[in-house]
Amino acid sequence: MRAAEPLSDGEVVHAILTGDVEQYAVLVKRYRDRYARYAARMLGSPDAAEDAVQDAFVRAFDQLAQCREPDKFAGWFFLILRNRCFAERRRSHRDARPLGMQDEAIAGPDRSDRHVERAEDRRALERALERLTPEQRDVFVLKHVEEMSYEEIAALTGASVPSLKMRMHRAYDRLRALLKELA
Amino acid sequence: MKTEYHPLVKRLLDGELMFADLPSELRAEAEQALRWVAALDRTPVVLSARLDERVMAQVRRHAKSPAGRVWRWLLGSREIDIRFHVRPWAALGLAAAAAVAFVVVRPRFETAALRAPTYVRFIFYAPGARTVSVAGTFNQWNPAAAPLVPTTSPGVWTTTVALPLGQHQYVFVVDGMRWVPDPAAPTVDDGFGQRNSVVAVAAQDGGGRAL
Amino acid sequence: MGTLLAVAVAGGLAAQGRVPADVAAVVQQLVDRAAAVGLPVEPLREKAIEGGAKGVPAERVIAAVRSLAAQLGQAAAAARAAGIARPSADVIEAGAFALNAGLDQREVEALVRRSRPPYTPAATLRVAGTIAALGVPAGETAQVVEEAMDAGTAPGELLDLPQEVERGVAHGDSPGAAAAGLGRGQATAPGLNQPHGNSQGPQGQGKGQSHKP
Repeated sequence: MRAAEPLSDGEVVHAILTGDVEQYAVLVKRYRDRYARYAARMLGSPDAAEDAVQDAFVRAFDQLAQCREPDKFAGWFFLILRNRCFAERRRSHRDARPLGMQDEAIAGPDRSDRHVERAEDRRALERALERLTPEQRDVFVLKHVEEMSYEEIAALTGASVPSLKMRMHRAYDRLRALLKELA
Repeated sequence: MKTEYHPLVKRLLDGELMFADLPSELRAEAEQALRWVAALDRTPVVLSARLDERVMAQVRRHAKSPAGRVWRWLLGSREIDIRFHVRPWAALGLAAAAAVAFVVVRPRFETAALRAPTYVRFIFYAPGARTVSVAGTFNQWNPAAAPLVPTTSPGVWTTTVALPLGQHQYVFVVDGMRWVPDPAAPTVDDGFGQRNSVVAVAAQDGGGRAL
Repeated sequence: MGTLLAVAVAGGLAAQGRVPADVAAVVQQLVDRAAAVGLPVEPLREKAIEGGAKGVPAERVIAAVRSLAAQLGQAAAAARAAGIARPSADVIEAGAFALNAGLDQREVEALVRRSRPPYTPAATLRVAGTIAALGVPAGETAQVVEEAMDAGTAPGELLDLPQEVERGVAHGDSPGAAAAGLGRGQATAPGLNQPHGNSQGPQGQGKGQSHKP
């Protein structure tokens, strides 16, 4: 038996909305890993990312009738996931604990920029990223982890390129200040 | 202690400049910044294989519940985000169902020399009003010059006005007596203790667009 | 301008039925004074007409015109201080708009100074004034616009900024927070602001950037 041509996202969505709920598994399989890294970097761990992605898929199903361009399900789903990450970050931002003694030990006694090892860099950077606002972290991850251009980010999120740049530039400054503080 | 990166260093980080473009006094700062960016963790993340089944289990539950079915139907059939008030950077309106598209344009403020008019639709929500008009700098604040007409949506009034390029101030006049600014628009002091709304009409290649 | 002519022009304003004759005469004097120092006068006439149309008492109309004339003067002074020897009517009017929206003369001067080509001072000032008119505090407004220019924003794109702030406000942010978080821009109902083209999104779809020295 020949395998059928894969259905487009739009065709799958249509099938689901006309009652074939099981087709949703097609979309889940297609996109479950695409945004995993983004969610992990936004929320700080793969576990948190998994919760967020699962939650986002369920919400997307609930709102599926609202997806105006079903052939662009991926981008629409990403926005739901992104909102979920923002909400999560805002919650934890409010509850954020200040850097503990343990973190200072990891940062090491030598405070000169030149001598920090790569792994140390990475840990320090992660802690600094934790302290960005959700919006700043979002644009930073999309640009420097997912390596998207400003234009691509603008198209995906609906923000304008100038405002993305401004957010990013503020994020750069904030990171610099935080890294100095943490070093 | 200065903790802000120089704007050129930031543009380097954005990928808009090459390292060689920077003046020599900025290179140390740039190298430090690039090092941090290079330290970012970019390893791909793969989620657990059981994710699909957990999602589908929840999805099946949601699909079965009567509330779920009704909710999806409701979400599907209503108009999304109906806006009744014209934006300060006013958009071209749509049908009488009052779903207003937000037209994002590439504006340029030309000098007053360009006077080609652009048609801008004003939409105002005033249930219970007998008459509504829009008065502003573009019609010498004459409340009779640009009456709005009711639409099929109850309480929603509209009109289309040809506005020249430039920035204009306006308010809605309700029943010939109440001068009401657009609540969603930027407002400025009118000098008389009240507020005026602001709309800008800017040039675009091949014509004018309201924004 | 001769007294006879002044009366005739004032009579013109009044004859249109838009401005009471006594107000028109005083306004004309203010107009003359403004014209004599090189300020644009059309905004003053418009303000008088606006007051008449709104049924505002005479003294209030005159006060408003006087106040606007002062703002025009301040704007012109700010532009000159920023290095424009003979500011155009457009720049002066834009400056007055920004002042009226809540910026102060220093901020107007700074914005004009930063608006070297490809930026035009008039556009910059109107953008700033509109953002302030959305409720963003003046200091933050000036900062936001200056940052946008520093970030190399295209002049045409500068005019997107008020819209971005407005979107934030529509989603429940205070204007200051909306300005600070510029670009969150995501509608609460997914489906709006759908991306154009084929943006595939993260993880493996983006392109690398060259930072190579």
